[in-house]
Amino acid sequence: MLELRDIGVHFGGLHALDSVSLSVAAGEIVGLVGPNGAGKTTLFNVISGTVRPHRGTLRFDGDDIARMPAYARARRGIGRTFQIPQPMHTLTVAENLTVAQRFGTGRVDAGAAAEILDLVQLTDRASRDAATELSLTELKALEVAKALATQPRMLLLDEVLAGLEANGKRRFTQLLADIHARYKLAILIIEHDIETISTLCPRAAVLNFGQLIADGTPDFVFSQPDVVASYTGTVPHA
Amino acid sequence: MEIRRIAIWVALAISSYVLVPLAFAGNLYLMSMIVASLTIGGIALAWALLGNLGGLVSFGHAAFFGVGSYASALLVMKAGWPIGLSLLAGGVCAALAAVLMLPALRLRGPYFALAVLAYAHIFRIVATEWKGLTNGAGGIGNIPRFPVVFGYDFASKTGAYWIVLSLVLVFAVIYWRIRASHAGLALRAMHDSEDATRAVGVNSVLLKALMLFLSAFMTGVMGAFNAHYINFLEPDYAFSGLWTMLPIVAAIFGGYRSVLGPPIGAVVVYLADQLVFKGFMPIGHQIVLGALLGAMILFAPEGLLSVFAKRAHWPGRRRVAVASRDA
Repeated sequence: MLELRDIGVHFGGLHALDSVSLSVAAGEIVGLVGPNGAGKTTLFNVISGTVRPHRGTLRFDGDDIARMPAYARARRGIGRTFQIPQPMHTLTVAENLTVAQRFGTGRVDAGAAAEILDLVQLTDRASRDAATELSLTELKALEVAKALATQPRMLLLDEVLAGLEANGKRRFTQLLADIHARYKLAILIIEHDIETISTLCPRAAVLNFGQLIADGTPDFVFSQPDVVASYTGTVPHA
Repeated sequence: MEIRRIAIWVALAISSYVLVPLAFAGNLYLMSMIVASLTIGGIALAWALLGNLGGLVSFGHAAFFGVGSYASALLVMKAGWPIGLSLLAGGVCAALAAVLMLPALRLRGPYFALAVLAYAHIFRIVATEWKGLTNGAGGIGNIPRFPVVFGYDFASKTGAYWIVLSLVLVFAVIYWRIRASHAGLALRAMHDSEDATRAVGVNSVLLKALMLFLSAFMTGVMGAFNAHYINFLEPDYAFSGLWTMLPIVAAIFGGYRSVLGPPIGAVVVYLADQLVFKGFMPIGHQIVLGALLGAMILFAPEGLLSVFAKRAHWPGRRRVAVASRDA
């Protein structure tokens, strides 16, 4: 479904992504891990269209989408959340979903919106101001709800569990599993919590200093010396 | 509640058509002041539309006003177009002028405002130097007046009042309908969360461009109206910075987040300035206006309409704000 080949992004002299190749199949859940500054969010920005790669090819469902603007990628079926929740300001929770449906799918479906709100447990917050009247957990749920409202075929989740307490994390992990089961989406999820990745993802990919250093099952990936070294800051094979 | 509010505004609009001419038609000076205030009100509404829905603060609406003025006057005088059609053409030409400003949409905040201000100066220079078309600084005189229709002379003060009032009301309805639409929701959300709107499929650049074109069109139509109302144009007048500054003052005074705040603010500000402050302070009367605007920003930043809303004892701060915004 998603194929990245030899993706390179640099910001001035900083190589944020260096020859990254990664593919995600339809319906697959892949965890994207790596230390801070590894290039995970940059990779999400490349896939969703907010950052244009300087090198490489990017295909979604076989089509080259490298030059497609962000809004068009959302309409093609790539939904995303932001690490710092970005509710649409001045709108209520329900209006956030209305805009996502109208522009993401071309039509507003109140029934589908109600179903999504019920799924993410925001039904009783529908008329609340999204930017000022929601807790962090609810903002994270709204991020997911907005993305779902565009009827994506692939969901990019950028640290949706970050900042949640243990119970909230468990509930949210279950929510993501439910979403995957119900909508059969491909999901690429950035997450630091190794336990969550192991629970949720049959496959994990690790970025470090802009390079993909491991790709496989969580057990395999997290046993690799390079991966351990990237998290502990030690030099492998030293 | 919504129907009641609409009914109140419709009743006020109808009253404006009937009661104002009945009360003031004999006072030509006052009627000309009212017409001028509504002209500014129309621009203020267009400016607020761009600010509220497009999220863009413009210091260059004088360019749209001037282009609309000249386009309509020249189409009538050189191509023989009927005035009704040339009013619309003035708006279209102003919207086309806005196409040249599209590169500025990449900019935000003060950078956009200053870029558009520079564009406005370019149009003023072009109008001054393109003597073959505009007669340069000498200006254009004897611009045809509004015609007599069904025996009524629309070139009269009352006729011009009805025309400009109709333009402002039509623009207000267009603004109101856009704001209530799904595109209006997305536009409102774009101000502080453009990335978030793009991520759900909103083509934010296109929506902003459409708001720029619409705002330019409305301002151009007001310019075209003014050209046929005053029958004379010169670049320093048609592209004067006052056509930007006064609407901004009016919009902020009336409540730039509401639909009717800007035109109501224009009528109040302009009439107060010309009929009251100028009377006891012939030189420097704008100082009073400035002080009043400062007080309004400090004590009622939502503008005049929010003050009316509070006077009407609408309960709750949030409801007052929403009611004011939705008026």
